[in-house]
Amino acid sequence: MDEEKLIEKAKAGDKKALTELVKKYEQTIYNFAFKICRDPAKAENIMQETFFSMIKSLHQFDGKSKLSTWLYRIVANHCLMEVRKKKNRFVSLENDNDMVEDKYVTDWSSLPYKSIENNELRKVLDEAIKKLSPDYRIVFLLRDIEGLSTEETGKITELSVPAVKSRLHRARAFLRKEIDEAFKS
Amino acid sequence: MNKIKVTCKVVMDHICENLGEDLNSEKCIAIKNHLDECDDCKNYFNSIEQTIEFYRKYNINLPGEAHERLLNALGLKNE
Repeated sequence: MDEEKLIEKAKAGDKKALTELVKKYEQTIYNFAFKICRDPAKAENIMQETFFSMIKSLHQFDGKSKLSTWLYRIVANHCLMEVRKKKNRFVSLENDNDMVEDKYVTDWSSLPYKSIENNELRKVLDEAIKKLSPDYRIVFLLRDIEGLSTEETGKITELSVPAVKSRLHRARAFLRKEIDEAFKS
Repeated sequence: MNKIKVTCKVVMDHICENLGEDLNSEKCIAIKNHLDECDDCKNYFNSIEQTIEFYRKYNINLPGEAHERLLNALGLKNE
């Protein structure tokens, strides 16, 4: 059954259709939540909250955007609420000169780890992204990792197109620099 | 993913669009000339690409028990 029909049936209270929708998106939502919060237990909690919100608000879904985009907006809001509760301190990215002003940029063709199955590499990636403010993290993940357009990312995060581009550029540069420094040390 | 044939003009268009510059502007021409010769910029571009690739490949699977807990919490059944 196509997604449009599933949504219509789910709106009318068909539990089988709702189950199909949940099954279709649970992995995507869980993975995305994990990529923002970097914690499997929190990711599971956020996934559950996201689907509760989906069921509660599905009648408001008008089909103008894709269901996945609508779900990304819900999961992003839950993640931001969760992360802001902790009031962590994140690196300020207001001045990006420090991030790109490498006199000699390392050639990464000789990186010691290239496979994402490598635990050392995963640790480096976790540490780097945890330092990035969630507002930047979400833009990077939606745009570069989930492959949403700049416009879709802007709608979800309620940012203008130039603001999305600016945050994306800074997030990429920051992560690159953090990984680079971890490999150099 | 679709294979898109990327030409230097496409790349320059993209860079200049993000800079808010016309392709034939002085700044864009200077950037093109610089890119042709600068290994540091090539390394920078490659390392940004690699950064994105790392995070794109870093996925975790939803544990089977988490799937069951989700359906239970939502009052749904595995059909």
